[in-house]
Amino acid sequence: MVNRKRALWMGATLLLVAALGLRFTLAKDEVPGWLNKGENWPAQKQKLQAYGERFKTSWDLYQSLRQAAGAAKGPDWARMAEPAFDWSGVYTRSGGGLEFDPDLKGPLPPTTARLTPAGQAVVDRKTDQIKRTGGEYDPLSDCRPPGVPRWFSEPFLHEFIVTPKQTWLINEMVNDVRRVYTDGREHTPEADAYPLTNGDTIGFWDGDTLVTHTRDLMAGQYQRGVQPDFSEQTQIVERWHKVDARTVQADVWVFDPVNLKAPWYTRQSWTKLTNDDSALRLRYWDCRENSNNAITKKGDGTSEFETFDFEKSPKR
Amino acid sequence: MTKRSILALVGALALGAVAIPAGAHHSAAMFDPAKEVALTGVVKEFQYTNPHSWLLVDVKNKDGSVTTWGFEAEGPSTLLRAGIHRGDFAPGTAIAIKGSPHRDGRPAAAWISATRLSDKKDFNPRAGFAIR
Repeated sequence: MVNRKRALWMGATLLLVAALGLRFTLAKDEVPGWLNKGENWPAQKQKLQAYGERFKTSWDLYQSLRQAAGAAKGPDWARMAEPAFDWSGVYTRSGGGLEFDPDLKGPLPPTTARLTPAGQAVVDRKTDQIKRTGGEYDPLSDCRPPGVPRWFSEPFLHEFIVTPKQTWLINEMVNDVRRVYTDGREHTPEADAYPLTNGDTIGFWDGDTLVTHTRDLMAGQYQRGVQPDFSEQTQIVERWHKVDARTVQADVWVFDPVNLKAPWYTRQSWTKLTNDDSALRLRYWDCRENSNNAITKKGDGTSEFETFDFEKSPKR
Repeated sequence: MTKRSILALVGALALGAVAIPAGAHHSAAMFDPAKEVALTGVVKEFQYTNPHSWLLVDVKNKDGSVTTWGFEAEGPSTLLRAGIHRGDFAPGTAIAIKGSPHRDGRPAAAWISATRLSDKKDFNPRAGFAIR
């Protein structure tokens, strides 16, 4: 009797392992490779969106990509000068204005995110605010950092520093650095995790594509205007790739059970700026150096300058 | 639609090609994009600062008094991309400048364009968002 029970348990365990293996094998076979943004981008984008939707969690998607990469080792220092890993230069967002999804255009475009009722209520409230008052208040006005995932939709100068064990993704605005650890470490243990502006990001290299997973994020909004909010439960999978000599892009899947019914896929892009005289450099960004930039929130939810003092020079 | 508002709309559409609002760090709703103020004066100070720069211009009024106007633009790196250097507007430089005025009547505006009168050179701070 005991042996029969043991055999049943062993059989069930084997079936479970086989099922999991089959799941990842299927995922591995069907992982879309890097797709360049061409004429058929809407169809390609849908394919990448659908791929994200196959997974219940961001971690499942990340594990699928990790499984597909196999035992591939990341680049060592000797390979850093290869064009695929040399992301040096000063970049800026390729397009899209302040829209989180760069494919969107216009002053109040509908989002491409599939929102939960709670997420839609936030967008409705913002739409009403802007239609009613013509304005809004952005927490960044108080010099707060945008946080991830809003980080993607911010303009200004960027640098991407690739090294074998870490990649730094930098926006000059408020000296904003995302560190991607590719040395094999896992996320911070749950017991030590807490919400962070840019979250905790780990990653690995699949050939010349950097795959990352981010969690432990603070809540925020994707951007100003009528764009959605994201919650502390947000987690993100990204695939970074140097497309050509002047372009670095990222596939971004955002998972947020509070605001999103399905992961929100977008393709983010940055273009290297011509900088022949090396004049463009990322400088320390002190957001409070000029009191004429101080913004306050008005009672109607819009923004206003606190005060102007055109007699006093900024502190130097 | 008045000629001025048509011009403002055309300008807005042209700027849409670079698609970044004037206040990339805060809402720009305090400025009125449908209006334009055009002034001539002398630079008092160029506050080349983050997250926004301010070009302060002393403008002589009809009664002989002087009002200091502040014209807001993006920070130094974006101005540099527009070819606007701190030294282009030394104190005392005579300029003609246009902006979208502050809605509450205070002497402030979102800087649209400026011409340095000594050499007729034009400066467009929003060109700093173009990708070159």
